[in-house]
Amino acid sequence: MEQSSTSALLQGTVLDLASDVVSALRSGDHVRAGSTLTGGGAGEGVARAAVRVLGADALLPSVLLRVPPDPGQLAVFKDAVAAHPPRDDAAPAVVWSHWAMARTLRRVEHPLTGPDAAEPAAEPGAAWLDEAGWQTLTHQLAVLAPLALPGEECAVTRAARRRPVDVARGFVRAVRRRDWQQAAGAGRWLTLLDGVPDTLGLAAGLDFVRLMGGSDPRVALQLEAARLMPAAVLL
Amino acid sequence: MSVAGVGEAALDWVWAHRDGFALGDDALAADGQVNRTWKPLGELTRVCASVSLCTPPTDALHARASDLLDFAWQQTHRGELFGLMQSLEPFATYPLEVYAAFASAGFRHPGYEASAAVVARTRGWRLTEQYPTRRLGVLEAERHSGIQPHAPVPQALEGTWLGGLPEPWTFERSAGYALTHVVFHLTDWGRAPRGVPSGLADYLLHWLPPWLDTCLDARMWDLSCELLAVAASLPRPPEPSVLDDAWRRLATAQDSSGAVPEEGSAQDAAGPDAGPDPYAFTDCYHSTLMAVFAASLTTARPRHADRAEHAEHTEHADDAAQHAGQGAPG
Repeated sequence: MEQSSTSALLQGTVLDLASDVVSALRSGDHVRAGSTLTGGGAGEGVARAAVRVLGADALLPSVLLRVPPDPGQLAVFKDAVAAHPPRDDAAPAVVWSHWAMARTLRRVEHPLTGPDAAEPAAEPGAAWLDEAGWQTLTHQLAVLAPLALPGEECAVTRAARRRPVDVARGFVRAVRRRDWQQAAGAGRWLTLLDGVPDTLGLAAGLDFVRLMGGSDPRVALQLEAARLMPAAVLL
Repeated sequence: MSVAGVGEAALDWVWAHRDGFALGDDALAADGQVNRTWKPLGELTRVCASVSLCTPPTDALHARASDLLDFAWQQTHRGELFGLMQSLEPFATYPLEVYAAFASAGFRHPGYEASAAVVARTRGWRLTEQYPTRRLGVLEAERHSGIQPHAPVPQALEGTWLGGLPEPWTFERSAGYALTHVVFHLTDWGRAPRGVPSGLADYLLHWLPPWLDTCLDARMWDLSCELLAVAASLPRPPEPSVLDDAWRRLATAQDSSGAVPEEGSAQDAAGPDAGPDPYAFTDCYHSTLMAVFAASLTTARPRHADRAEHAEHTEHADDAAQHAGQGAPG
């Protein structure tokens, strides 16, 4: 019982946090967003865990819109990065998610020193993506959607850029399976890739995903990110 | 199991159950159920015509397909019944569509062709209201039956779901069945891959993989077989990994009798210990035929690819004409 109520609390906190991010992306200002992390509603541990679930996207408004993060939010984010380094045997997506968070943290904390100085620990490998079929590739990229940022340069983005048709196939598959979160994540990647077949109809596809799955704030977050991509410049 | 193995086992089932395709007394009844009489017989014929054309005469499949074609032709009283059908419903297109399957395999009835041509000269025939996909099939049937097609193929293609290159994520079951038949008609049931215009071929190469994957996931075995037949009918095949994966998954659905059920629901209904013949004829005959069809086109591909390369130099003129949408050659 205790475990399931904790997991329900975490799920609820993840959704609240995603809603905060969506509000901030829509309004362009974190101050008008909700305050899941700073309002004291969620316990410290749950807040940290929720940040881990959203990963680097928890600070997406700061990265995409260049608004400084709320100090309280930033503190929880820092704690989340520091408290849960991936284990040696962690899955590649977990390792990359952590890497993305560390990188985002450096970018937000040191916006003027440039990407080189902001480099976190050595970049993990992405061979697992090159070896993956298009279904797994898309699933993994959707999990790593926080790395889908304009101008982002890392092994994962390079792997995605090499396989635009495969990611587009994965988007079609996700829509057919009514997996709106994966579809939205794949769609966000596709806004950044060259070589996506025109016949995919990405803009209408993203509208469709919003229509069918946009009430889930985690889906809405990806769609807002995709909407801002063409105009956004990486912090 | 290999692709050829799936096809052989499926054709074994068809042979063992050929009586299910026989025309009963209701085939010419005024209130006859065409979908239970002429349609299965026409589908049997269509598939066997393709198998016999894409297998060498020494192949056991070839001999079996030829025997089944003889069996089917006998059911029509060597073509005599087509004229009777026409007299019952002179402006229905299905008699000609079924007949064309026989004609494509070389079984012809000049008397019926002459009567069909009379009807096909009318404005009423040309204006028959039907789905664009079906319209393509009628044009193909006319061509096989010695009748001047009543409209250009590109015009008919434009009206189909596939011809408009729709967003691939709008694919659903009905669109899937429409698109497979567009390709079957354009390619003369897999015989003429060049009948697919290049833009359409690119489109299909892009999007067949997710369609196949999701249909297999949903255990839509019948549509999966049709999509595999489409994959084997294109000027260039999809990546081998896509086909290997799809055939591996399809093979798991094949019963030891060789039958491939239409959908997963038939498997669920049959249960785990369903005996040697688990599916009703209507629940598996079409998907089993489509497994034969897809397997024979897929295994024929390497043989034909050699031939196509030799023919490449002499076919450029045809190629240009077909890519401009002149349709498949006879």
